[in-house]
Amino acid sequence: MKLDKVWEIARKDMASVIKHKYVFYGLIGIPLIFAIFIPITTIYPAVSGEEPSENELPPFAPPGMAPKQAVVMGLVNMAILMFMILPAVIPSTIASYTFVGEKVNRQLEPLLATPTSDFELLIGKGLGAFVPAMVATIASFAGLVVVVDLLTFQLFGHLILPNLVSVVVLFIYAPLVCLLSVSWCIFISSKVNDVRAAMQLGVLGIVPVLAFYFLFMGGLVSLEWPTLVVFGLLLASVSASLFFLSRATFQREDILTKWK
Amino acid sequence: MIKLQGLTREFNGLRAVDDLTFEVKEGEIFGLLGPNGAGKTTTVRMLCCLIKPTAGRAFVGGYEVGKDGLKIREMVGLLPEAPGLYGELSAYRNLEFYAKLYGVSKQKREANIERFLKMLGLWKRRNDPVGTFSKGMQQKIAIVRAMVHEPKVLFFDEPTAALAPESAKVVRDFILELKHERRTIFLCTHNLYEAERLCDRVAVLNTKLIATGSPSELEQKFGPGRTEVQLERVNRKIVDVVRKLKQVKGVEVLENKLLVEVENPEVTNPVIVETVVKHGGRVRYVTRTAHALEETYLRLVRESETR
Repeated sequence: MKLDKVWEIARKDMASVIKHKYVFYGLIGIPLIFAIFIPITTIYPAVSGEEPSENELPPFAPPGMAPKQAVVMGLVNMAILMFMILPAVIPSTIASYTFVGEKVNRQLEPLLATPTSDFELLIGKGLGAFVPAMVATIASFAGLVVVVDLLTFQLFGHLILPNLVSVVVLFIYAPLVCLLSVSWCIFISSKVNDVRAAMQLGVLGIVPVLAFYFLFMGGLVSLEWPTLVVFGLLLASVSASLFFLSRATFQREDILTKWK
Repeated sequence: MIKLQGLTREFNGLRAVDDLTFEVKEGEIFGLLGPNGAGKTTTVRMLCCLIKPTAGRAFVGGYEVGKDGLKIREMVGLLPEAPGLYGELSAYRNLEFYAKLYGVSKQKREANIERFLKMLGLWKRRNDPVGTFSKGMQQKIAIVRAMVHEPKVLFFDEPTAALAPESAKVVRDFILELKHERRTIFLCTHNLYEAERLCDRVAVLNTKLIATGSPSELEQKFGPGRTEVQLERVNRKIVDVVRKLKQVKGVEVLENKLLVEVENPEVTNPVIVETVVKHGGRVRYVTRTAHALEETYLRLVRESETR
């Protein structure tokens, strides 16, 4: 695999897609919502509100803390889990343009005629969606850390982020979710002929994230080591399966003859 | 340079290209003519290693299609039916991107992009987004894209389709320029005037290969062989004597022109002129009828469809 070609394809896709207003504002706007809007609207009321009684604790509040701290910590964990939506939504938006958009605009044929292998093209185009999504996720996470620590420092007396859960989410779950989302979008690209339809179907990539989120919210899982490992393995296996499916889908001949 | 041996491609049991066998020599402009759905694009896609043949073999520059895909794609340039440029990016960035994928060095890349854009009159617009260009300008950028790595073999699929006459002429002149550089050009076209002007040899295709040869060979072999003799005045006597000539198959009169159907124009035309003059006719012009290749092509395609 020639990495210079792969990177050139990714660079071109990033440069190209950033010029779509919808994608550009999405890349700026959505991370801001996750970094600022969500923590302020969910965590601040809990921090500034009355101390809840032990009986009023929601199921996602971790044990072994004072009630108010437990509620706030639970909400912080929820915000961190919610964060996984970012690496699912952003790449699906970008990949919809770089795969379906290019297919519809008949930009794939000249690209397929170049001396690049199918795998180089796949990785290059995948990276074109992966890199901006991860950059936006990491930048947004930095904002979340600052906002959460500012809001909660007085309550806890120390900085609560970054913590173990956030590191796992950011550096393990987020890349896996991103890979899952890109792979899913490549698969969708072979089935639909419309960028918006691809984006709508691409959102299905957040299903595993939402499933985990609701299980946590309902108190059915806690963010302990075993849970984190099991969910990580599950995510890795789904991402890997979808990646192999996308690799099987992204074949020169099939793109020109079988893709819708 | 290009060699096809029984090249065949099926889609779901339907033959899109059936048993093609012909060769294209180095430095030749070879035209592939055929109606819609004749298999022209499928043939080009096979030769550019974008899709595999179902049967048969093909070689480009000595490399076998289906086995040496990367090598073949390195040495060919493709202009597909649709330009497929990135509208948000500048013309220069579009070309630079492709040049990098073809592994062209920075120095060569810059020189080639400048040279070809200047040849096609688009150098001044190099930093403008391609999306703001007219169809003709986009087509020219797509041609430069196919050329940017200086390939030995070029596949042009309808290069002047949807172009204004002046742009089409620029493109045709550019193709002739490439021929002088000894590049092999494989041209799919519906434009028979263009084929006649540019191609050394053509193949008529309608899923199967119907005929190959130079445009004049095909006209001679399969064409209606019509000679147009323009006189000062046509009279009945002249029409009758020309009609009675052995090699003449038919005569039509159109105003002051005789449209004479002949089998072997090189031999018969002098006889026709001699006869007309002998019977008092004053000859203004003698020409082959315009669009001779077109008539030949239409006849060949019609015949192939009734078979």
